[in-house]
Amino acid sequence: MKLSTVLSGHTFQFRSLKEVLAKANELKSGDVLAGIAASSDLERIAAKEVLSHILLSELRENPAVPYEEDEVTRMNQDSLNMEVYNRIKNWTVAELREYILGYQSTGEDLRALGTGLTAEMIAAVAKLMSNLDLIYGASKIKVPATCNTTIGLPGTLATRLQPNHSTDNVEGITASTFEGLSYGCGDALIGLNPVNDTVSSLSEVLKRFDQIKHDFEIPTQICVLGHITTQIEALKQNTPMDMIFQSVAGSEKGNRAFGFSADTVREARELLKEKGTGKGPNVFYFETGQGSELSSDAHYGADQVTMEARCYAFCREFHPWMVNTVVGFIGPEYLYDSRQVIRAGLEDHFMGKLSGIPMGCDCCYTNHMMADQNDIENLAVLLGAAGINYILGVPSSDDVMLNYQTNAYHDVNAVRESLGLRPIREFEIWLEKMGIMENGKLTKYAGDPTIFTARKRFS
Amino acid sequence: MTTETILSVGIDIGTSTTQVIFSRIAMENTSGFFTVPHVSIVKKEVVYKSPVYTTPLKSDYLIDTQAVRDIVAKEFASAGYRPSDTGSGAVIITGESARKENSDAVLESLSSFAGDFVVSAAGPDMESVIAGKGSGAYQYSIDQHCCVANLDVGGGTTNIVVFNDGEVIARGCLDIGGRLIRIGADGIVTKVSPAAAEAAKAAGITIQVGSPADAQTLGKITDQMALALADYMDGGTKYPDLLKKIITPGSSILSCSAKISYLCFSGGVADAVYNENDQLFPYGDIGILLGNSIKKSRLLRDYRLIPAGETIRATVVGAGTYTTTVSGSTITYSENLFPLKNIPVLRMTEKEQEDCFQGEATALRMRIRWFLNQNDEKRMVLAMEGKKDPSYSEIRLAAECLSEVLMAELEEEAPLLLVISTDIGKALGQLMRQNIHDERPVIAIDRVHVEDGDFVDMGKPILDGLAIPIVVKTLIFG
Amino acid sequence: MKVDEKLITLITEAVIQELKNQKMKNTGVSSSVYEPNEPVHENPPADLDITSRECKAIPLVEDPADPESLERMMRSTTARIGVGKAGPRLKTQTLLALRADHAGARDAVMLDVDPKVIEDLKLFTVQTCCRDKNEFLTRPDLGRKISEEGLKVLRERCVMRPDVQLIVADGLSSTAINANIRNVLPMLTDGLKAKGFTVGTPFFIRFGRVAAEDQIAEMLGAKVVCIFVGERPGLGTAESMSAYIAYDAKVGMPEARRTVVSNIHRDGITAVEAGAYLTDLIEKIYQAKASGVELQN
Repeated sequence: MKLSTVLSGHTFQFRSLKEVLAKANELKSGDVLAGIAASSDLERIAAKEVLSHILLSELRENPAVPYEEDEVTRMNQDSLNMEVYNRIKNWTVAELREYILGYQSTGEDLRALGTGLTAEMIAAVAKLMSNLDLIYGASKIKVPATCNTTIGLPGTLATRLQPNHSTDNVEGITASTFEGLSYGCGDALIGLNPVNDTVSSLSEVLKRFDQIKHDFEIPTQICVLGHITTQIEALKQNTPMDMIFQSVAGSEKGNRAFGFSADTVREARELLKEKGTGKGPNVFYFETGQGSELSSDAHYGADQVTMEARCYAFCREFHPWMVNTVVGFIGPEYLYDSRQVIRAGLEDHFMGKLSGIPMGCDCCYTNHMMADQNDIENLAVLLGAAGINYILGVPSSDDVMLNYQTNAYHDVNAVRESLGLRPIREFEIWLEKMGIMENGKLTKYAGDPTIFTARKRFS
Repeated sequence: MTTETILSVGIDIGTSTTQVIFSRIAMENTSGFFTVPHVSIVKKEVVYKSPVYTTPLKSDYLIDTQAVRDIVAKEFASAGYRPSDTGSGAVIITGESARKENSDAVLESLSSFAGDFVVSAAGPDMESVIAGKGSGAYQYSIDQHCCVANLDVGGGTTNIVVFNDGEVIARGCLDIGGRLIRIGADGIVTKVSPAAAEAAKAAGITIQVGSPADAQTLGKITDQMALALADYMDGGTKYPDLLKKIITPGSSILSCSAKISYLCFSGGVADAVYNENDQLFPYGDIGILLGNSIKKSRLLRDYRLIPAGETIRATVVGAGTYTTTVSGSTITYSENLFPLKNIPVLRMTEKEQEDCFQGEATALRMRIRWFLNQNDEKRMVLAMEGKKDPSYSEIRLAAECLSEVLMAELEEEAPLLLVISTDIGKALGQLMRQNIHDERPVIAIDRVHVEDGDFVDMGKPILDGLAIPIVVKTLIFG
Repeated sequence: MKVDEKLITLITEAVIQELKNQKMKNTGVSSSVYEPNEPVHENPPADLDITSRECKAIPLVEDPADPESLERMMRSTTARIGVGKAGPRLKTQTLLALRADHAGARDAVMLDVDPKVIEDLKLFTVQTCCRDKNEFLTRPDLGRKISEEGLKVLRERCVMRPDVQLIVADGLSSTAINANIRNVLPMLTDGLKAKGFTVGTPFFIRFGRVAAEDQIAEMLGAKVVCIFVGERPGLGTAESMSAYIAYDAKVGMPEARRTVVSNIHRDGITAVEAGAYLTDLIEKIYQAKASGVELQN
């Protein structure tokens, strides 16, 4: 394994593959904070150059976290498609990049290829790609998933409707939900981030979501994003839920900090088979985001792109309905500005898809980051072009519970119309039936949440 | 999360019926780990309902208190509770029985059952609100953020309350009821109240005791009643003669600051409004006919009808479950003072409060002096709206001047009692305690609204002392 | 439609609009006169601040199916619903209100605390190892350490071994400190002194994070330390402040040892009430010799 190079007359010597991976990253404040980032732009490119010659087998043999210590590494390594792996193990990372971008590889080829790649290989190739590479590469890959409807089919862009409320007031949540539906949002999911992570609170909201879904015969999915253990308890009490949610990290230690392990998710899987209201087979919703491992000191000295790729390796076992990178939520100490957030969003989407994961993105930012709404609209369009399964929608971009901004209900259809995309087909038919959409455009009745109350009242 | 539950008893002694219910009121600290505590009532559940008794009367209006006592004793026994189990509740004397002599007698006869914390309340204003809470109209207005009127149509009167998003914005009472005309088993009219005679006159009909009970004729009379009710709900734009005559004395036109969208019915006649009725005179009165008239009147076209959670039991359920509220959770109180019962309230005017926050209280001092003299009371609650976000210097001045005035005007053993609407009880109370060096007990409770002339009961602190259960009573006698 | 007809229509609309605006201006904000012919979704009067609550409460949906229900829905949440649309996009007023609220939040993060506030409370200022705001935002580790120079000042000016040490730091919102600290700090100081506690010399930390309290408590030998910091602003408010209290704080101790009181602002728990609440809470922590999770158990 060659860990040195000469670039522009300077010699660069790296001590480990982990160091090469870290320094090959585009600049991220989280890597700087972790003390593992390249010290100069030239060193960064030197690391990329070294990485380009590394063999995929060398990446497999050097996981970011040792096999013995970590179940995520084991899940990744043990589930590898050996036939594919053996075919490509002597490729360099540069060759992998060019194969992905090349005309000879189709989307199906890349889906098949992904089954033989470990998280470290996927992270490595992302580091060699430019932003447009990430968009173009990802746009070739389709990762559909099926719960009550099917997401990720060509020509579609879906949304998770996020009707958060500062006190979990069910009527307030309902109002935001109606507003979102009236803008053609909610085909991926109607999903709430609860303030109160209790069984009773989750159940109350889920029952309302279920009622809305049934009363208006909406072809969609519902979920309340409590902790996985709370959702399991609610499901045991027969609360309607189409899927179970959990935030995941790229190491077992990181997941322990989140209060769960792979076995918890396996338990949820068995319970969902018995009691879940989602038709499936894809009944999980996971969220990730670069930097979370460092924040819980569970990054093992690895960079945040590599740790993020490992999240997708974890998700893969559970065949989720959707995986969401909450890209700009973590703050400027991990992703400093819009440039870093946009880069991270494109990386995560690409890596997720190559891992075989149905990816979406919460294109978001907090108020202490160097970013504003324009940046996040840019990212949504870039990801729309990259063929992302879904983006988020909240009232007027302002999430009053999580105190951050993401895409507005008003964004998704502008992106759809600009790029020639449509909602999930069944959902679009429903929107047409409700008079909200016509020929892919919002009608004059769209944007009026009272079209729902005028028809049906809740008692 | 810890929950604390108190048992509440509700006793409704009306003109025609008497009922008892028991309910459980659960309270929890509903705020998160990182915020200041906030105790709320999280669940109200009726756990026992008595049968509907005919109110035992000694004369037309005088209640047979001994017989009432026996009913209550019997119901405590069949519910399986002892009086000491109850932590809150209300005895409410309604309709024509709501007289001072009845109230005093009932209170005395029930004192051994009333537990520690039971109150007597009466008067059509209070009654309409309690019925509206018991029927579910109040909660509906909160849940749907809308304006709902509850019409409690009883035997002798119809009590009306309008809730806008949980706030009472109008109240009223009309002499319209199901028992204004009574019919004997032989189908002959046995009683015609003056209000019914007025309604008959408006319909161009003469009716008297001894007339045969003809459904068609009586229906015309109840149609007039329903029409008057609809006119009344309009809020006084049109004021026909009949309406003027059947407004309950002391009540006035319904003046609402918001547009009423929904109607809810409770009381004995409500079931006839909500259901199909096979028999016309099952109770020997015009209740069913009145229900039918309301059903086909413009009331049900002008407003949307919502279902009632309780109909005939709305008042007793309201009394048992909705009279108890809980204080804010950042408050000040000295230990070992609770429970406190029947403390009269003096509410500061806007001007008095503003002066107080500037450190000036001459006018307030005079009014407190007058109030204590007039009420012949040693104890009083000083109530105020309070400020939303006062500055440190303002609250300091208010505390200094309130503690000085109250220390000077109240008798030596009397505690300094404050009830404030905005959430500043802890700050104000704490500064007052500092000012008087804890020489007297201080209670400063917030997030509770009380009016001049109300009476307040305060229960023992709950949930590790976080908050105080409160009953606010408005006593008006007809 | 012929050109001249179109022109007439346009002019007529403009005149009607102008008349409406005029009328709105005359009736003002406080008027609650209901005029059935006056569509409620028209633009607000020019003198109404688009970031104000009153303005945000006005529905902008054109011709809603159920106007009454729309207002009810808008009252049920602080989320920005009922905002209407231009094509698929936001209306101009909503867009600008969002940008204005974001600008307020950015200013809360980036600007310094008003020197007058620090002066009024007779606080002195020390700085952490962060050299500027950007370093503060990207290096939480440096925001937890007081600079060498700052430590020297603290040694010179602070009372040693107090029962309670109170500290103010800008954190992520200077606006929150500006809005609340003048009312919290004296309330709490008075309360603690009345209970007989010795209260240390209070001061202000520029570029300070929560965990800076650990180093200070260790150095000054304070039994209980309480630091006030500005919370990360949302678009709803930039004025929210938190207090983090710890008993016998040590550098590197688990975060779970802190007791947190968040949401101190005019629409949360107001400043004076928070001061009174903290007085009792600190007494409880002092007596229990424990804070955070340890206090709960």
